[in-house]
Amino acid sequence: MVGPVDITRRAAVGVMAAAGAGFVLLGPRGQRDSSGGKLVLDYWEKWTGHEGRAMEAVVRAFNESQSRIHVRYLVTAGVDQKAMIAIGGGSPPDIVGLYNYNIPGYAETGAILPMDGFDSPLAPRRERYAAAVWPILTHPDREGRERVWGVPNTGGTVALYYNRAAFRGVGLDPDRPPRTIQELDEMSAKLDVVDADGTIRRAGFMHSEPGWWQWFWGFYFGGTLYDREGNTSRIGDEANVRAFEWLARRGRRLGAKAADRFKSGFASAYDSPLNAFLDGKVAMVLQGPWLANVIGMHKPDLDYGVTPMPVDAAILRPGEPVGLVESDVLVIPRGVRRPEACMEFIAYTQRPDVAELLARAHFKNSVMRDVSPEFLSTHPNRGVATHNAIANSPGGFLAPRTRAWLEIKAMFDEGVPKIWNLSDPPREALGRIHERAQAALDRVAASARRRGQVKAQGAS
Amino acid sequence: MSSASAQRRIDAAGWLWISPWVIGFLAFMLLPMGLSLYYSLTDYPLLEQPLWVGLDNYAELLRDEKFLASSWRTLVYAAISIPASTVLALVIAGLLCTKVRAAGLFQAAVFLPTLVPLAASAMVWLWLFNGEYGLINRVLRALGLPGPGWLTNADWAMAAVVIIGLWGVGQAVITYVAAMRDVPESLYEAAELDGMGPVRRFVSVTLPMISPVILFNVVTLTIGAVQVFGAPFIIRSASVGGDTSHMTFYSLYLYDNAFTFGRMGYASAMAWIQLLAVLVITAATFVISRKLVHYRA
Repeated sequence: MVGPVDITRRAAVGVMAAAGAGFVLLGPRGQRDSSGGKLVLDYWEKWTGHEGRAMEAVVRAFNESQSRIHVRYLVTAGVDQKAMIAIGGGSPPDIVGLYNYNIPGYAETGAILPMDGFDSPLAPRRERYAAAVWPILTHPDREGRERVWGVPNTGGTVALYYNRAAFRGVGLDPDRPPRTIQELDEMSAKLDVVDADGTIRRAGFMHSEPGWWQWFWGFYFGGTLYDREGNTSRIGDEANVRAFEWLARRGRRLGAKAADRFKSGFASAYDSPLNAFLDGKVAMVLQGPWLANVIGMHKPDLDYGVTPMPVDAAILRPGEPVGLVESDVLVIPRGVRRPEACMEFIAYTQRPDVAELLARAHFKNSVMRDVSPEFLSTHPNRGVATHNAIANSPGGFLAPRTRAWLEIKAMFDEGVPKIWNLSDPPREALGRIHERAQAALDRVAASARRRGQVKAQGAS
Repeated sequence: MSSASAQRRIDAAGWLWISPWVIGFLAFMLLPMGLSLYYSLTDYPLLEQPLWVGLDNYAELLRDEKFLASSWRTLVYAAISIPASTVLALVIAGLLCTKVRAAGLFQAAVFLPTLVPLAASAMVWLWLFNGEYGLINRVLRALGLPGPGWLTNADWAMAAVVIIGLWGVGQAVITYVAAMRDVPESLYEAAELDGMGPVRRFVSVTLPMISPVILFNVVTLTIGAVQVFGAPFIIRSASVGGDTSHMTFYSLYLYDNAFTFGRMGYASAMAWIQLLAVLVITAATFVISRKLVHYRA
């Protein structure tokens, strides 16, 4: 007779054997080395939708252009965080599309490979890139040597988009947008539409829309946030204080509660048809070139213009527009088996025709110093020349290049709305952000010292 | 076969049966917990090896204003949402236990929101709370009330997160309904003979009889409230440009440190404090409940 224990054991062993066989047959696979004899490279990128399709087309074109390498385009949400975990865990993809502000953290920790060590035809060269774009790609390594860590696959600069019809409606010349902060204030005042009870119907300009760059107002007053050499915060500088006092004045003019109610009616996604600029709620807005795509999708008949963000009259220099320069960067994680093959694909994306094709498909400016006449004449974004000029201007500025940047940015994201809604005086608020930012910078430097990175940025 | 040998075989079979769980527990629970305890005592940027710093992370937490603010905000949320969820679930369960037509349909309707993924329902809530186009403010305006900036105003944002939490009360309702239907009818008959009305019967008969289930739900709600993440995370992501500090609950700040700022050691220290807080609150709940919960013999 068969006892219950025998049955149990037999069943258990059977179930486990079946599970094991299933795992072997159907379970996860390691990366395949080849696809039809080609070396397979996994490329993690953040883009979906039309941006993703454009990049996929580039990948496809590369795969068809040669017979040795096959790149797999893998859409990865939260790509910088997932790449960090994958690299830390020793199982990185071959190529990753990060954001420019990721470079310092990845470079200082040796998580990505420097690109200036590759054979010269493939290595990125300074003279090819727009003036303000090149510094994005460089950062000191663990030994303190300035190296090149990535290449830009697309980039965007931030400019002022304004509603030309709204300008005409209040008697302003749509061909003469504001150039200085003072002019911006005057034009905003004319464009504001506020009911007798304080309800805002239209704002000329609102610092909190879209509110993606709460930290950068001081740059338009000649300020900066970070001294890279000394690893010190400059957040409390007078230029920044003046900038945030200006922000508070604008908040006071609109009324904190009224502005809060007004903003609560905006769409939460910038690419919504109810985007405040498209919807006519805000007449002037700071945005990147991608806004042109949203306008094209949802309100193609919108009559808009694009101009550099006005600056304080004291720093206005004709031909040197001031603006934020951002970029998506391609990097090679440490631990990949065939970095040369990765670099071959990356070099392909840097061909002028490919870079222009991708930039045009994304509605963005070029990250290259030189562009073809066709790029400008056939570009779907009518403001591309403005965006390009910012990328090549001495006034183009970057987010502070420090590992502590995302922490510091979070401090601005939380602190600046309190200045805007008048619950915190600008000087005091900036003073607190400055102190906390310096503490974060000091902590990062101390961590680098503990790890023996005595010459790394901020650790000397 | 000797009885000792047979016992060993039975034990072995038992271990074999539970081995998937044991292996899973060791590999995916105990080991990560042990590692996170170690990481909490290190400077661990994830991309580099952890370096021992002793109790530095814990000491820094005590000086971290944002840590203290997010802890307080989370406690306030728990203090509001747990009683609100419990009372609402009990009331709905009580109504569902009355003899109404299509009670099953109502039960399904109450339970359905718990099946909707939080990310999807949060997107709906974002529109419902929209200051101008949102249904809630439209109704308020129709009643002559000014609609607040639910997600842009710090004072109203907490209310918004609590309301979103209440939307998922269906799980508790189902367990309460099951418990209420398990209360012996004879107790209600005796209470009725003693002259008790419906409310008194609910308070004096139903609540004591289902008190173990209430305790269970309060404990699970407490754990959920201390770990609240999904709704504020999505709202914060969608509220760029506004004051998002009121959306930084404990778990969000932990997440920021781990995955945005790359401070895994610091985040691990936060996780251990969170675990200890949950254990203390749960233990306190059990102690307090001793005189309030009635277990049937």
